[in-house]
Amino acid sequence: MKKKFAMVIVLLAAAVVANVFAAAQDQSLSPAKRQFVTAAPVSTVYARSGHPGPVTFTFHIQPGYHINSNKPLMPELIPTQLKFSLPGSDMAIGRVTYPDGQLMSFAFDPSQKLSVYSGDFNVKAMVVAPPSATTGLYTVHADLKYQACDNNACYPPKTVPLAFDVKIGSAAKSGKSARPTASSPHIHN
Amino acid sequence: MKRSLLFILVIIVVITVALFVGKSYTKGGKGGSSVIASVLKPQDDGPANGTVAPDFTLKTLDGKDVSLSSMRGKAVMVNFWATWCEPCKIEMPWLVDLQEKYRKDGFEILGVAMDDSGQKEIADFAHKMKVNYTVVIGSEKVADLYGGLDGLPTNFFLDRNGKVIDSFKGLRSESVIVDDIKKALASETKNASLTR
Repeated sequence: MKKKFAMVIVLLAAAVVANVFAAAQDQSLSPAKRQFVTAAPVSTVYARSGHPGPVTFTFHIQPGYHINSNKPLMPELIPTQLKFSLPGSDMAIGRVTYPDGQLMSFAFDPSQKLSVYSGDFNVKAMVVAPPSATTGLYTVHADLKYQACDNNACYPPKTVPLAFDVKIGSAAKSGKSARPTASSPHIHN
Repeated sequence: MKRSLLFILVIIVVITVALFVGKSYTKGGKGGSSVIASVLKPQDDGPANGTVAPDFTLKTLDGKDVSLSSMRGKAVMVNFWATWCEPCKIEMPWLVDLQEKYRKDGFEILGVAMDDSGQKEIADFAHKMKVNYTVVIGSEKVADLYGGLDGLPTNFFLDRNGKVIDSFKGLRSESVIVDDIKKALASETKNASLTR
């Protein structure tokens, strides 16, 4: 009993040590090799012809950094943009809605306002299925392109890759949702 | 029983030490002020102070080749920048003034644009900023030679022999740049034949 207890303690300690050093190593990477933005997992999206499926992407910006909004105030600044890579012609992405940027000034030029995101922000989109869409489960890949700065320096543009599942339902089932029944393995609510 | 207690005590000490080391190790990676501290450190991944800056040949905005080594005999500031970099934009008017002021003493700024955008966009931007020094279009290879350039602006100050006398990334006060220019100008050319 005591031996087992001791073994559990040792394993726990090893896990803690490994995690601490992994985190330390990530933090010690130079900014160029680090991501400044991370994406939260996205639940399965349900859509069918005539009934687009809404999807919200949540992103987190590391403390101390900001990125340009989707509509920066100067043409030379790189806007934050989400680009989709669709698995075929069975769906399309409708309107993509970005939040308004916060108008902020920074230590490097207090007189200049920039339109930026910091902290968490959401991007919303609609998944549209054409009448000819084949029902089924698809995986959509996307890339968030952004360019981050802190109070003194700016870092080269980066992309955050993400993927999410889209369940295309049958258009023939009038009035019924494309959301599968409880027996489906893709239910996330 | 005593042995078990001792063992658990050792494990607790190990965990505490690991957490302490981890925290110290990550210091500087989180929070606004620590980010600034990490940015303001010298550009320590590129050529070190006292070493000859790696040579490169890049195209100017009007398509001519310029080599860094062709500037030997002059004090040189290699300024890595990009059109999307707001702090770079802040120091550009300073650089324009400093180029004008110290040109007669043998000072040259070499701006290296690290943009992915085209030559025309960079040229239009430089024109808009009234840039009066040579601007060349950078490359990944040159970035690697200079430590990866993980943040912009990044500046290297070279003496008349092409040796690095100081470097830093991130925006600094104009007076810091002036001090480095003066130091670079104060150096003597060791090989007179290198003077242009």
